[in-house]
Order: sequence, then structure tokens, then C-alpha cells
Amino acid sequence: MEYIVQTENLSKNFGKEQAVSNINLKIRKGEIYGFLGPNGAGKTTTIRMLLGLMKPSSGTIKIFQKDLKKERINILAKVGSLVENPSYYPHLTAYENLEALRKILGVPKSRIDEVLEIVRLKDAADKKVKGFSLGMKQRLGIAASLLHNPELLILDEPTNGLDPSGIIEIRNLIKRLPEEHGMTIIISSHLLSEIDQMATQVGIVTKGKMIFQDSIEAMRRFAQPKVVIKVSDSEKGWRSLVANGIKAEHKDDLILFDECSDEKVAHIVQILVQEGISVYRVEEEKRSLEEIFLQMTTGEQTL
Amino acid sequence: MIGRLLTSDFLKIKRKGLWFLTALGPIGVVALQMVNYGIRRDYLLEQSEDDWGYYLLNVHSFTPLAIVLGIAILTSFIASIENETNAWKQLIALPVSKLTVYLSKFTVLAILLFMSSTILMLFSMAYGVFLDLGDSIPYAEIAKFAYYPFFASLPILALQLWIASVCHNQGIPITVGIFGVIFAYSSFVLPDWMIWKWPSLMNQWDEPVINVMLGVGIGILLYIIGMIDFARRDVK
Repeated sequence: MEYIVQTENLSKNFGKEQAVSNINLKIRKGEIYGFLGPNGAGKTTTIRMLLGLMKPSSGTIKIFQKDLKKERINILAKVGSLVENPSYYPHLTAYENLEALRKILGVPKSRIDEVLEIVRLKDAADKKVKGFSLGMKQRLGIAASLLHNPELLILDEPTNGLDPSGIIEIRNLIKRLPEEHGMTIIISSHLLSEIDQMATQVGIVTKGKMIFQDSIEAMRRFAQPKVVIKVSDSEKGWRSLVANGIKAEHKDDLILFDECSDEKVAHIVQILVQEGISVYRVEEEKRSLEEIFLQMTTGEQTL
Repeated sequence: MIGRLLTSDFLKIKRKGLWFLTALGPIGVVALQMVNYGIRRDYLLEQSEDDWGYYLLNVHSFTPLAIVLGIAILTSFIASIENETNAWKQLIALPVSKLTVYLSKFTVLAILLFMSSTILMLFSMAYGVFLDLGDSIPYAEIAKFAYYPFFASLPILALQLWIASVCHNQGIPITVGIFGVIFAYSSFVLPDWMIWKWPSLMNQWDEPVINVMLGVGIGILLYIIGMIDFARRDVK
């Protein structure tokens, strides 16, 4: 299988600090690649290197099987991007903003209306971007990245600052693009739920290192929520559950379970009640990204 | 590619007041002489046999200041258009070479300044004719006083653009610009090698064309240094 994006031991140092170290991205055609990591993990730095905005300290980048260092302009002609906060010219209208980019890209004028239509900004086309809300600016940024119908779309935190309906809209748009236009998409986020709903492939970085790169299904196995039960006598409850052959954890006066189908939860509650223990609360605890990171970094090294 | 970038750059300076400033500079310089000659015309005409020459020298006494100040403001404006929302990253991520991006910015500025110089030439000629300074209009001299300072100030343009495009803090190019204006104001006492003296067309040999040659030569050199530094830097 040929990779659209492939990096080898990509590293970037800022002075003594190593922002990105030995990242090996592998992204296939048609994928929505979720690039996940906490703030300051090196996501944006990696993306900047993919776009040729920053030069890697070491390592190589191949996009469309071509070396970025040698064929930057040819590659970028087929790459659309939105990096961090949207860039725009506030004194120009939405249409003029896109026109300024269109002139450089050399695509037909009709594309401006098309992309404005895609991000639903057509009504605001002749308004100055100065007065736009953050969500509208973000959508304008996405429109700009789509102008030249790129084969690879790189979006850095595209749902930042959007309201819930805006997030859903962008999410649907992003999901649609690979099917309708055969695009490959890289999308970065610090929100697991965000990536979970869009990506087909996931790469997780923390402190500049890639700690996980696999399909979303593999990722989900790690991110399963826990069920937490609060009871009157947790010690006794936990013992009786273990005696019944149920794997449970006992921590801070709470009982925790890993896999939890509805039947299993019902079964557990039944056991507890039959033992004469009062059940106060049954809650589902979504695992935060940090916990998953922790598990991945401290867990088996085979990942 | 440079053509596309140029049209894009000219679109971006819309509504930013750059065209207005381009016209204001030369008109202001001539307007000062309107005041000067309006108040004490007879006295001024007595000062020299060559009324046109003396008038042009008067006009030229403010030209270097206007040019140096104008360059500082225009470069800072142009850079701030990209700096404001860090649009550099969007621009450089397009399929363009960084060298061309820089060349385009420089060209826009050079065109604006050249237009300023042309306006200066037309206005100083028009007011000279209005003052009735003599029938033989010295066209060559008028053009010289309009375009020589333009060429002599190219190094300042290259330097200011370099600083404005690599510094995210626009306070730095503005500070350099203000010092430039102060230098230009004190051209009389500056040594010949200071680039801020050159637009005044003064030098120890009393040969303005030397300033033009130096301006073009050092201008190109500073431009190339700035362009290479701009291309070498990471875009934040």
C-alpha cells in the first residue's frame, strides 16, 4: 500500500528543547487521520513541517511519494491547509479574502462561490471579515483550504471556537470529503471525542513522541468507559463480586469495572443487593485522554 | 507566478490607506512650498538668479524626510497586513516560493514609491509654472529631484522591509523608521556612508548621481540579504 504522507524519524528542536522527536507518520489515501495529543505535544509543529513552514531538524517527509524538501511547490499545489487560528485579512470581505488566495492558486473564479457554498458563508460573502464571529472565520479558513480542490487536506484543530451546531456541520463536511472528492484528511485535535467521531485512523503524540498509531477501532478498545459504583460497604461488596468471578477494582471506597455491557451492570447490581449492600450510585466514567496516555505510556511497550 | 502574487498583494492593500499615503507624501512636500512661497514669494525670488533651481532646492529640502518616513510607514503597513492574523503561514503554505513572496512585497512597495516620486515631479512642476518662475522649464532638473531620491532610498526600503517582515513586533521596524527620519533630518552632519543621508543627494564630491548608484547597488544587496534571511526562517 502506498502512503500519501510518510515521515521518517521526523524531529524538530527549538534550541535545546525537542518539540518533535522521531515521528513516523503513515497515512494512506482516503483516510481521515486523527492526530491526537494534549496541547504542546508537537502536533502543530509536525503539521508546520508537513507544510514546509518549518524545516525539520532531522528526518524526511514524503507527500504523494515525493520528497517535500525537493518538490515543495509541486506538493503544496495539491495540499490544502488550515493551521491553528484561521488567518484572514480583516479589512477585506470574505469574497476578497478568497480572491487574494485564488489569484495565487490560479483556479477559476467560480470556485470561490462553490467553497463559500460548501461552508455556508454565501450570505456573508460581501461582509468584511473583521465583523465575523470566530466560527465564521474558522469556516472561511476551511473554505480557503478547499479552494484548489486539494488531494490532501490538513486541518489543525478545525472545530476550535465553534458552537455545537458549527462543530456538527464541520464534522459532517469533513466526513463527506473523502467519499465525494477522494481527499485524504489529516485532522488534529486535543479532544478524543472529536477524533473519535471523525477519524478512521489515529496517531497519538505526547511530549513530541508518537505513542500510538493504529485504526480507530484499536483506539476505542483503549478508551472504553469505566463503570463506577458507590455502595454502603465497598470492601464487602468488592469481595462478594470477586467471589462471584467478576473482575473489579476497589479504589477510594468505590468499585470500578472495565468492560460493562448492560447485562453485566444489572448482574453486578443484583449481586450487591442480594448481599444486603445499599447501592448509592452507578455511574459511567469516561476515561480522559490523559488517563489513556498514561495507560499507553506505562502499559505494554508493544504498542 | 510573480504576476499572480502582485495582483493578490495589490488586492490586499485595498482600504488600508496606502494609496492615500502614496499621494499625501509628495503633495505635502509641495504644499509646504506653497505656504513658503505664499507668504514670502518676493523675498524668495530675490535670493537667486535661477528661480527654478532655487525653488527645486526648497522642494527638495523636505523630500528626503517624506521618503524616509513614507518608507517606514508603508513597509510597516504592508507587513502588518500579513502579521495581523499571522497570514504568513497561510500564504507560505500555498504553492509559492518564499523568495517570490518577498519579491512581490518589495515590488509593491517600490511601485508605490515610484508613483509617489512621479506625483512629486508633476506637482512641483505644476506649482513652479503657477509661480511663474520663468519660461524655460528645467524638465530634466525636475525629474532628477523627483527620481534621484527614489533610487537613493532603495537601501532604506530594503532594510525596512527586511526588519518589518521578520519581526513580529512591529515596534521594532517603527523604531528603526523613526531613527531613520531623525538621521534624514540631520543629513548635513552625517558621514557619507550612512544610507539615510543618500536621499538628500548630498556627498563630499557634490555629485548626486553617486548616491543613485550607491542606492541601487546597496539596495539590491540589502534586498538579497533580507530575502535570503526571510526564506531561511521558520514561519511561526
